[in-house]
Amino acid sequence: MFTLFTLNESLSMAYKVDRISVVFLIAIIILWIVAGIYSAYYMKGKEHLKRFYSFYAVLFLILVFMALSANLFTFYMNYELMTLCSVSLVMHEQTKEARDAGFKYLIYSFFGAYFVLFGFYVLNKYCTSLTFTMGGTLDKSLVAGNEGIVLLAALFMIIGFGVKAGMWPLHAWLTTAHPIAPSPASAVLSGVIVKAGVVGIIRSLYFLIGADFIKGTWVQTAFSILTLMTVLLGSALAFFEPVLKKRLAYSTISQVSYILFGLSLFEDAAFEGSLLQFVAHAFAKCGLFLVAGLLIIITGSVKVEDMKGVGKKYPVLLWCYTILSLSMIGIPPTGGFLAKWYLIEGSLRSEFAAFAWVGPLFLLVSALLTAGYLLPLSMKGFMPGKDFEYTKEYVKLPKKAIVPIVILTVLCVLAGIIPNLFTGGAL
Amino acid sequence: MINPNLIFAVIFFPILLGTIIVLAPIKSRKLMLALSLATTIITAVFAWILILYPPKDAVVLFEFVSKYTISFKVDGLSRVFAGLISFLWPFAVLYSFEYMEHEANENTLKEKTFFGGYVITYGVTLAIAFADNMLAMYCFYEMLTLVTVPLVLFTLSDEAIKATRMYVVYSLGGAAFGFISLIFLMNYGNSLTFALGGVLSGNGLDGRDNVLRLIYVLAFFGFGVKAAVFPVCSWLPKAGVAPTPVTALLHAVAVVKSGAFAIIRLTFYAYGVDLLKGTFAQYIPMGAALFTIVYGCSMAVKERHIKRRLAYSTISNLSYVLFGVTLMTPLGMTGAMTHMVFHGVMKIAAFFCAGAIIVKAEKHYVYELDGLAKRMPWTFVIFTISSLAIMGVPGLCGFISKWTLAKAAVENGGIAGYLGVGAILISALLTAIYMMQMLLRAYYPLEKPVETEKCDPSFRMLIPLGVFTVAMIVLGLFSDPLIKFFENVAGGII
Repeated sequence: MFTLFTLNESLSMAYKVDRISVVFLIAIIILWIVAGIYSAYYMKGKEHLKRFYSFYAVLFLILVFMALSANLFTFYMNYELMTLCSVSLVMHEQTKEARDAGFKYLIYSFFGAYFVLFGFYVLNKYCTSLTFTMGGTLDKSLVAGNEGIVLLAALFMIIGFGVKAGMWPLHAWLTTAHPIAPSPASAVLSGVIVKAGVVGIIRSLYFLIGADFIKGTWVQTAFSILTLMTVLLGSALAFFEPVLKKRLAYSTISQVSYILFGLSLFEDAAFEGSLLQFVAHAFAKCGLFLVAGLLIIITGSVKVEDMKGVGKKYPVLLWCYTILSLSMIGIPPTGGFLAKWYLIEGSLRSEFAAFAWVGPLFLLVSALLTAGYLLPLSMKGFMPGKDFEYTKEYVKLPKKAIVPIVILTVLCVLAGIIPNLFTGGAL
Repeated sequence: MINPNLIFAVIFFPILLGTIIVLAPIKSRKLMLALSLATTIITAVFAWILILYPPKDAVVLFEFVSKYTISFKVDGLSRVFAGLISFLWPFAVLYSFEYMEHEANENTLKEKTFFGGYVITYGVTLAIAFADNMLAMYCFYEMLTLVTVPLVLFTLSDEAIKATRMYVVYSLGGAAFGFISLIFLMNYGNSLTFALGGVLSGNGLDGRDNVLRLIYVLAFFGFGVKAAVFPVCSWLPKAGVAPTPVTALLHAVAVVKSGAFAIIRLTFYAYGVDLLKGTFAQYIPMGAALFTIVYGCSMAVKERHIKRRLAYSTISNLSYVLFGVTLMTPLGMTGAMTHMVFHGVMKIAAFFCAGAIIVKAEKHYVYELDGLAKRMPWTFVIFTISSLAIMGVPGLCGFISKWTLAKAAVENGGIAGYLGVGAILISALLTAIYMMQMLLRAYYPLEKPVETEKCDPSFRMLIPLGVFTVAMIVLGLFSDPLIKFFENVAGGII
């Protein structure tokens, strides 16, 4: 552990590398590079580029430091800075909608951050140290008799970090803020920044409070209910959403809660599944948003129904879209399939009352819905029907627009074949 | 060893020089400005000597009858408060130079009144800080109200007159309750001299515990007028009609924190926590403080005038200090002192930025801020940092002071403690709303702004702002020695 700076006896800025940091770092670095390449095409000729790339770069550094954080203070500090910097990406277009969306994003995020802060204050009293240690650092003698407040703190941290991860009932900002940003920004927002909330929950539950303390309590029940609600709700809302980028944002809400559901089980296989879903979703969702950006440029429309027949002219693009969608649904040989497999296996093994079998049921229904909202675009894209008239217009897509999407698709498949490469686990 | 008579010098030198500035027929503006700045700096230097090398003895100015004196002494708490104002005052005077040029329209008489009053107020506030007993503090507390009247009245507009009337009525009315408390302390206390732990212990209270507690509550709200606790807080936003240096230094730091300071003296040094803790005398003030924390922020969100919005924010933040006090533990007192000092620095920076926006860009309302950040880049960098500090972003001083307060509250435990944490967090969220709203408007205008010429203020306004910005960061990162000092003060070691 490397201590950079000590503020006082309980607060310091310290960094270290462990498994969670590595998984998070992989997602950050890969996504930042591919979305960066893509933005060279997408952002060309747009205004305020200097501002966009400054914040893009600063955000990268903040995320790297967040991934490497060794204690709660360092993590929380970077977490707040991340919120403040990422709002600039959301509001980049400077329209009324963009500014309102940015404001909504900011307020929801701070709402969550202050819930976390409550947990922070409480844990400062009841933990022996705020350094992340697998298994937790609770001071058993202090906690005795005060379990209630520590559990409340745990719930508040789940809800607080859950805001960033789009967990119901505080998910509404996500579908406003993500679609309005420029596509490369939506890609990293949905791919990485929501995951900061997930990492926050992992860090606080597994590394500070300790899985043993929460397992079997009402907090675990509440956490599971919230995540399962979100899984289903996100999918259902995506199913009825006509605007492509919004549909993808709803999909993020649902898919990220798969990860959280796995965490709520406190079971090894589920934890591995969560980590793999973490990486696979990052690749897939980033890729889908990049595709969405191109489709909007090509068709000049944001709605799915106007995107018929694009497969004929842009086969690579649509094939990538389809494979990434398969990962979202959970069909082999993609990372998403393996992740969901382990999540369900973990759930069945967990002996966690009704959730052991209700959970998998929810995941399967959600998978059906996911197929229902993602695949129609593929089908209509390749097979628009007899009556469809192809227009002559053709937007030339340069390599820097297509290659990032292909890379992400390949990675998504690789995650299904050699998952250990990305999660460092022993699946 | 420093001669304790130096205390007289730092109190009466600025009062004397300030009076000269007001009364003497000085024609040259430059001379007047130089005189004000020199007086403030000299006073500040000597005040700092006293703070760093405190003399042990008290000095007596005046003796009424044997027991009752007006005397001064430098103790731990006075070092904290005097240190805060002695750090801020010279910079505020420097800032006023350019600001008043715009505000007074080269009306030298008006400017003389302003600068004279500003300098006098410094002396009076130092007297409050160094007061050794309740009587001395009470006298100078009343005087503070009177000497700041011309400053609030400055513009002589209807609005200003109404605001001043309200200020005077509220403050003098509040002080009356302080006076009642003074009489009771004279009767039942061992002496009036401040002592950590209170002056009531030892002799029998003849079973009048509850009466004394009631008197404490009255005095809390009496002194609470200046500290702007609900329901006696409405004078503060109204007084925002005064020139910004007055709003920034007096109505965010000196005057309002004299109120908070007086309450700390009252609670820990006069009545003593043993009498108050766990009774209605703790819960009523604490309830009022918690309510004010949320109330001030909510009103700030609603308010669209920039300075009044910051004034409501001050109301809320002052009650953070009062919440720390009403926890009635050494940790709570530490938190109160920390927030008193840290909030002073960040709020004065925010107000000075607002002042720069008012005189340079002539914008007064939040909805006029669109795109202003491009025109005043430096002002907005500093405004951003101070906003983040007030919101409590880690790395800046606001996080630390909220941390100390929350630590005290959690340590205290119980419903009261966690309600306090809750109130602090709710208010932090509301703070994020009302501060970020201004910043987002300034940085992300919807349309291309019509006016584009730069209008950042000159170095005389930017130097104070820069110094406060550095202070916010330094206090955010290297706060530990200072907080240890506060802990020692609260523990009675210093």
